[in-house]
Amino acid sequence: MKNSTLLFSALPAALLLSACNTTATENKQATAGQAATTPLPVISPVIPADAQFHEPFSLESLQHDFDVFSWESFIALNWPAASVGVADTSVNIGQKPGAATVWQTYKESRDIFLPNGATPPPWGKDLPPPSVCGDQDLPVLNQIAKVPNNVLDESAEPFQTGPLVDQNGQYTRFEILTNDVMFNYIAEKNLYSKSGQEAFATEADFPFGTDSQVGSIMLKASWKVLGKNDAPEKFHTTKAYVYDNPDEHAGVKAACKLQTVGLVGFHIGTKLKGNPQWIWSTFEHVDNAPTQGEAINKKHYNYYKPDCTDCAAVNTPPPRPWNPGNAYTQPTQVMRVIPLDKPTKELNASYQAALEKLVPGSVWVNYELISTQWPTNADSKTDPTGAPAPAFLANTTLETYIQGTVRQTSSSCIQCHNNATMTSGKFSDFTYLLQRAQ
Amino acid sequence: MDIMSTFVGLSSVLTGFAQDILAPRLDTTNIKTLYLQSWTENITQETGDAGLVNTILQQYAELQAAGKSDEEIGEQLMNGNNSPAFVLACQKLIFLWYMGAWPDVNAQPGTETGGFTTSSLLSAESYTSGLVWQVMQAHPMGDSNYRYGYWAEQPPALSDFTGN
Repeated sequence: MKNSTLLFSALPAALLLSACNTTATENKQATAGQAATTPLPVISPVIPADAQFHEPFSLESLQHDFDVFSWESFIALNWPAASVGVADTSVNIGQKPGAATVWQTYKESRDIFLPNGATPPPWGKDLPPPSVCGDQDLPVLNQIAKVPNNVLDESAEPFQTGPLVDQNGQYTRFEILTNDVMFNYIAEKNLYSKSGQEAFATEADFPFGTDSQVGSIMLKASWKVLGKNDAPEKFHTTKAYVYDNPDEHAGVKAACKLQTVGLVGFHIGTKLKGNPQWIWSTFEHVDNAPTQGEAINKKHYNYYKPDCTDCAAVNTPPPRPWNPGNAYTQPTQVMRVIPLDKPTKELNASYQAALEKLVPGSVWVNYELISTQWPTNADSKTDPTGAPAPAFLANTTLETYIQGTVRQTSSSCIQCHNNATMTSGKFSDFTYLLQRAQ
Repeated sequence: MDIMSTFVGLSSVLTGFAQDILAPRLDTTNIKTLYLQSWTENITQETGDAGLVNTILQQYAELQAAGKSDEEIGEQLMNGNNSPAFVLACQKLIFLWYMGAWPDVNAQPGTETGGFTTSSLLSAESYTSGLVWQVMQAHPMGDSNYRYGYWAEQPPALSDFTGN
C-alpha cells in the first residue's frame, strides 16, 4: 500500500525539498491547536543537504527555517535503515518499531578511535563487542544484512558533570556517531590516532554540505534501560550491549548485558554550507522532565518524580563515586531550565501530527525538538562562534547539569565546541571526538 | 524620526563603531534597547530635563539629514553651542557603550585629575558587550570566544572590530 510519503520518496531530492514548501493537499489536516488550513509538513526519508530559507529574513524566520531543517534531519536519520546509511523507502518511519534507523548504522566512536591508534575498520564494518559481552551477535533486525554491534559504553555527561540516573535507578547511556562523510575524512587524514593528528599540519576542517550533497554529520544519543513503569511502546527502542566501562571511572568493573533501551535524547550536528560553526539540533523524549515555571502535569516522567519529598535537589548529580554497575542509584530529579519557545512548540505539534497521520501510534510522536542553534554571523572575523542563536541550548539528558543562561558556563553547543582541539592542540572543527585518539 | 535607528546612528557617530556592529541586523543581544532605556532614564533623572534626550536625538537627526559627515556631526554635538548637560549626556552615552555601565561623574575642579568617575554595570550581558574589549582587540575577562591557543596569534585588525 502506497501513501503520499512513499510517492514523495521516489522523487529527486531537490524536488522533494521544494515540495516541503508547498501545500500538500493530502497532508492537510486540522490538528489540535492548529488552524484548519495549516498544512502538515511532508515526511521524507531524504536527509536535507541544506536548510530552506524564506524571506523576509529575521531572527525569528531563520530560527523557524533551521528548526524545520532539524525536524527534516531527525526524521530522515530515524527512518528505518535498509543498509548502512541508507533508508528503507519501502516503509515509513514508525512502521517498524525497534528497527535500526539510518543513524544507528553510522560509525560509533568506539569503532573509530582504537587502542594504540590502530586503523579503524572501513565504513560499514564494526568491531566486535567487548569480550565481556561474549560473542553473541545481536539479533538481526529488519532487512539489514548485518546490524551493527550496538555497544553503549558511556555513562557520563560532558566535563565530568555527572551521570544521569532514571526513575528506576539506572544510569543513562550515551553514544556518539559520525556519518560516512565525517568518518571518511577522519580515516583519510589519519586523525583516528595521536600520531596521525600530530603529523596533520593544519586544523581539522570537515567537509561542508553543498546544495545537494549532505556534509559532515555527528550525532549523540542518550538511551535509558527500559524497566519498571516504562512504556516501551512510547520509545524508539533497540537491543544493545549495555557495557560498564572500567575506563570511565575508578572502581567500575567491566560488565555487559544485552538489554532493551529506549531513546531519550538526540543531538544532531551538521556542517551546513556557509556555517563553519555547524548547525546544532537537539531532540528529546516528551516525557523526560517538566519545565521550570510550567505545569507539572504528567504522572510519569523519565527523569522527574512529581510530588517527591525525599528526592535529590533538582538538576544535581548523584554523589561520587559514580559506578554504572551499581544495582540502584538514587534517581536524578531533572527539570528543564529554559522553556521551549512558542513557535518551536507549534512546529513540534505540526510534525507530531504528521507522523501520527502517517503511521497511527508511531513512537516518533513522542519526540520533540528542543531547539536549533545556528550562527547569526557565521562569517564574523572577530567572533569565531558567529554569535549563536539561541545563545544557550541544552538537552536535559545530555547537558543535565549545565542548563542555564550563564555565559561560558551554561550549555551552548557552538560556544563549547568552539574550544575543541585534537590531541595535538590544533583546532578540531567543533568536535571533541578527535580527543579520543590514542 | 524612528527613535531606535536615530539612537543607533547617534551612537555610531559618538563611539566610532559602525552601526551594524552596534546593532547587527540579526541582533541576538539587542543591547541597544537596554542602552536607550538606561540612557533616557538616567539622563532624565540626573538633569531633571525630560526633553534632553530627545533634543540630542533631534539634533543628530537634523545634522544627518543635512548631509553632514560623521566627523562633522560629532564636532557639532560635542563642541558646538550645546549646553554642558547636553555634552555630558553625549559623553555618558559613549561611556555606556564602551563600558556597558552607567557612569557617575564626580567633578573635583582644581585637583590633579579633575575628579573621578565611578560606574555601575547594567548587566552581565552589558559587561561582555562593552566596546572597550573590541577596541582593545581582546575579550572580556572570563568571557572569551577565541579558540585554544589564540594568545599566540595576532588578533584581527582593529577595523574588523569597529566595522570602519
